[in-house]
Amino acid sequence: MSDLKKPILSVKNLKQHFKVSRKFTVKAVDGVSFDIFPGETYGLVGESGSGKSTIGRSVIRLYDITDGEMTFNDQNISGKVSKETNDMLRTKMQMIFQDPMASLNPRKTVMDIIAQGLDIHGKAGSKKEREEQVIEILERVGLSREFANRYPNQFSGGQRQRIGIARALIMNPDLIIADEAISALDVSIQAQIVNLMKDIQKETNVAYLFIAHDLSMVRYISDRIGVLHLGHLLETGTTEEIFNNPLHPYTKSLISAIPHPNPVLEKKRTSLSYDYATSGLNYSEGKLHTVEGTHKVLGTDLDIEKWLQKDNQKEVIGVS
Amino acid sequence: MVKEKVLSIRDLSIAFKTSSGLVSAVRGVNLDLYKGETLAIVGESGSGKSVTVKTIMGILSNNGKIKSGTIEYTYEEKGQKTTKNLLDFSKRDMRKNINGKHIAMVFQDPMTSLDPTMNIGNQIMEGMRIHYKTPKKEAYAKALELLELVGITDAESRMSNYPHQLSGGMRQRIVIAIALASDPDVLICDEPTTALDVTIQAKILELIQSIQEKTGISVIYITHDLGVVAKVADHVNVMYAGRIVETGTVNEVFYEPRHPYTWGLLLAMPDLETKADKLESIPGNPPNLEHEVTGDPFAPRNPYALNIDHRLEPPMFQISETHYAATWLLADEAPVCPPPAELQERIERMKKEDERYVGSEETYTFREELKAAL
Repeated sequence: MSDLKKPILSVKNLKQHFKVSRKFTVKAVDGVSFDIFPGETYGLVGESGSGKSTIGRSVIRLYDITDGEMTFNDQNISGKVSKETNDMLRTKMQMIFQDPMASLNPRKTVMDIIAQGLDIHGKAGSKKEREEQVIEILERVGLSREFANRYPNQFSGGQRQRIGIARALIMNPDLIIADEAISALDVSIQAQIVNLMKDIQKETNVAYLFIAHDLSMVRYISDRIGVLHLGHLLETGTTEEIFNNPLHPYTKSLISAIPHPNPVLEKKRTSLSYDYATSGLNYSEGKLHTVEGTHKVLGTDLDIEKWLQKDNQKEVIGVS
Repeated sequence: MVKEKVLSIRDLSIAFKTSSGLVSAVRGVNLDLYKGETLAIVGESGSGKSVTVKTIMGILSNNGKIKSGTIEYTYEEKGQKTTKNLLDFSKRDMRKNINGKHIAMVFQDPMTSLDPTMNIGNQIMEGMRIHYKTPKKEAYAKALELLELVGITDAESRMSNYPHQLSGGMRQRIVIAIALASDPDVLICDEPTTALDVTIQAKILELIQSIQEKTGISVIYITHDLGVVAKVADHVNVMYAGRIVETGTVNEVFYEPRHPYTWGLLLAMPDLETKADKLESIPGNPPNLEHEVTGDPFAPRNPYALNIDHRLEPPMFQISETHYAATWLLADEAPVCPPPAELQERIERMKKEDERYVGSEETYTFREELKAAL
């Protein structure tokens, strides 16, 4: 993405801490910054507990953030916000959840689920207009109009996820946060949903924050990627930069662990191991260094220098 | 070398009684497991893969009914080789003689398969103490050994830990240790790594492989991840709507797939080289097995379906000694129908990459490393 474009969402030094007890605080997200530009897909990857879902939820203001600054559509959305900003945020930013069953109200018809956003913001218009809008969006996501009066339990997982997407789309959003939106689906259905998301992006120029742990899917759908570990953004850059030239040992271990559907090779592959405790790295001491272009890595000056010298890579990662 | 057959399933059919009628979840499955081999069963949710292995273990839920079939299991009893039909066993006999002792299972979620009120040492020793009446000291020593085998450091102090004190990957290692405690001949892994992160997933798979090398047990994997299959399996069975639609060695299924469903599965996974605008996806949804299936259940989703597919279910056609597929495309009268071009391209690419590694001891960690080497 070019630098001239203005980011639609810009997150600076986001911190989200959860106080568990008087003595113990979980630093789920600890100083993360990234930008998302209109019409692009930003992938967030990391293991469970790395804070990727928390970031998604903080951005859409499901949590009160501990520290940091977020701007969306040129308006500050951190801290207290005016009613207008809040309304803009609630319509222009939407979310798709992981479990399509748990995120749809079982006692409402598909029509009411999808139209709920319109109802709340008073955009539905007459009953007929409301119906037309819902049917149009249903057909857009590949469901037929007869489905409008059914209940969520009458649908399969893939269809439910389509309903979830329809609910997000009807508000005509600028940014959709997809939190593990395809992980609960079967492989063949995953491909359908990913294709649908890409088509919609082409048509409406919506941006996605795509949160997932399946790296091969993230690589396929994302324009840029951020790698998270223990609440820190370790490495970010375009998909090519991250996959062709991973610098941080954690990124390397992640990429080396992706299984390939190729039996002969797969039986020869060894994955790298990475353990924060023994790696000798301290995330809070590091700074984001720009390697080239948009490719940035977190680390101290010394670390970065070491990682840039290819010969030393094996030693740094701790594998022989 | 003649391969020793451990488990042989013939014509297994299972139906579930539900409020909306009888659901035929498994419809005539045949499987053979040989000693020391790894068998993988791949399929979407609802294809009947979990039901099949649950039947082997005798832990089918109460509304499940076995309509037909046999599960012949060959094992050593009091120094003698015997072959018995597991379906004739009573629940009590299964628990006493087979479960854990001869056939052990690792479940998907390590969180729910461990007892939260018991420390892990006792959980590992439990099986040995009950099945073999192992003295406590001996059992303790073996439990320690097992913990080390599954790669847990500081095993002694871990013995008194409770499951909640361990991470997900550690817990799954404990579950594997428990499964191995009574020296089973067959280990069934039902999606052992789905709930785990990629990095840990690779470690767990490598662990099971190394244990298999050391102890020579046979393993059945259930998964929907073809990457996992490629890594671990010798033999692959692709299941769809309660039937096995393609079976063969791992190389046959990955390099010469014949069933359109297998083509779809292989294409639906983005390969690291995939740059196409669209992923090839299988249209539609899996069929509802509540209704009687006429013809090939895959036909409505199959762009290559022939007329006959809608009327008659295809039999298994033999392609090679080990490779079978159930599709009318293989019938003599069928038109010639090669796999989609994109898949052919991908297979060609894989084969090229393989050339360098076939028969050599070299290993690799990165795709890019591999490209540079070529």
